[in-house]
Amino acid sequence: MVALLTVETVVLAMMAVLVAGLLRSHAEILRRLHDLGSGLDPDRVDLPDAVTASLLRPRPGALGTATDVSGTTPGGEAVAIGIAGSAHRTLLAFLSSGCTTCHGFWSGLAAPGTSVPLPGNPRVVVVTRDPSEESPTAIGSLAPAGAAVVMSSRAWADYGVPGSPYFVFADGPSASIVGEGTARTWDQLADLVGQASADSGGTRRGAGSSQVTSTSLSGPLREARADAELSKAGIYPGDPSLHARGIGEVFPGR
Amino acid sequence: MSRLAAHGIEATLPSGWDGAVFCRTPGPGESTYPIMHAANFALPSDRGDYGAGAVESMGSGGVFVALVEHGPQSVSTPLFAKRGFALPLAARHFNPAGLQRVIRGQAGYQRFFNEAGRAFCLYVVIGSVGNARRLANLATGLLESVSIGGVPS
Repeated sequence: MVALLTVETVVLAMMAVLVAGLLRSHAEILRRLHDLGSGLDPDRVDLPDAVTASLLRPRPGALGTATDVSGTTPGGEAVAIGIAGSAHRTLLAFLSSGCTTCHGFWSGLAAPGTSVPLPGNPRVVVVTRDPSEESPTAIGSLAPAGAAVVMSSRAWADYGVPGSPYFVFADGPSASIVGEGTARTWDQLADLVGQASADSGGTRRGAGSSQVTSTSLSGPLREARADAELSKAGIYPGDPSLHARGIGEVFPGR
Repeated sequence: MSRLAAHGIEATLPSGWDGAVFCRTPGPGESTYPIMHAANFALPSDRGDYGAGAVESMGSGGVFVALVEHGPQSVSTPLFAKRGFALPLAARHFNPAGLQRVIRGQAGYQRFFNEAGRAFCLYVVIGSVGNARRLANLATGLLESVSIGGVPS
């Protein structure tokens, strides 16, 4: 009887060691998969909203230097997009043809009237991996006419993109990254861009209002905004009203 | 700063500049040749060879450069007899009447030339005559980085 109990105890102990080893191995596999970026598609990992919404946020300036993006179009032509030093803000959308969450963003690009306007109206540039890693035909069929699309694995490396979809919000005049992270929908992305803008002092969504107001614009950004507003009003460089010698020339009778 | 290279045309763009080297898809019985566009503002995807659709959104500090190749039959014609870009560009080179489509305040410069056995038209638009000297320097800086090789096989 004693011998039987001893054998059973030894067997149980061996099984416990075996199970512990299996659990440890499983944990190691999961950890390595996470390091490789697997599971960034929020549909698959089912990230809680609170976690996703906290991802697009300013990061320390030393890590947040924006760089220009160059590569090829889905049609195979050479293209470069100015980010650092440009007069505007740019939202880089790192998308792929395979991720299911990306499809919502591709279709949002295809029907800009149906997607939520992004606060501050930043330039949106889609960046995919190189044609050697991503099908130009698939990207060409997903990308709507008029959308800026650059195929550049180098840009993914430069910005440390872990997977798709991923978004980097860059400020041109300061050549800095003011926010980055992932999102599920255009609505969520719009909120996150507004939040990142407000946090970085660029644009702010007024409480209870859909109107976006700009604050703390730097010189080139302010110049670009003024140029855009003036050209909308039909006032171009050289217009006499820009060189009035007095208020009376602009508002006769005053 | 970005490097563009395609169709035997290479350029280094200053930081913040957009650019592209491309060749339009020819229609039936048509031949098309390479075009380089560069600008210090956001270039829309849909734009004409000489910047229509882009220069309208250009601010007073804007510079748009188009390098448009013509067919090999043009190389030996008098219009393309000059060689190279003839840099540096200066304020006096720019004229509102030199624009393809007159936009108030803007000025343009055009030069037909040959390089490496190829015929080109260089077309530069600046956003403000008042800033011509500074903007001409920006255009010169870009064009100094452009190199044109022989016709790619």
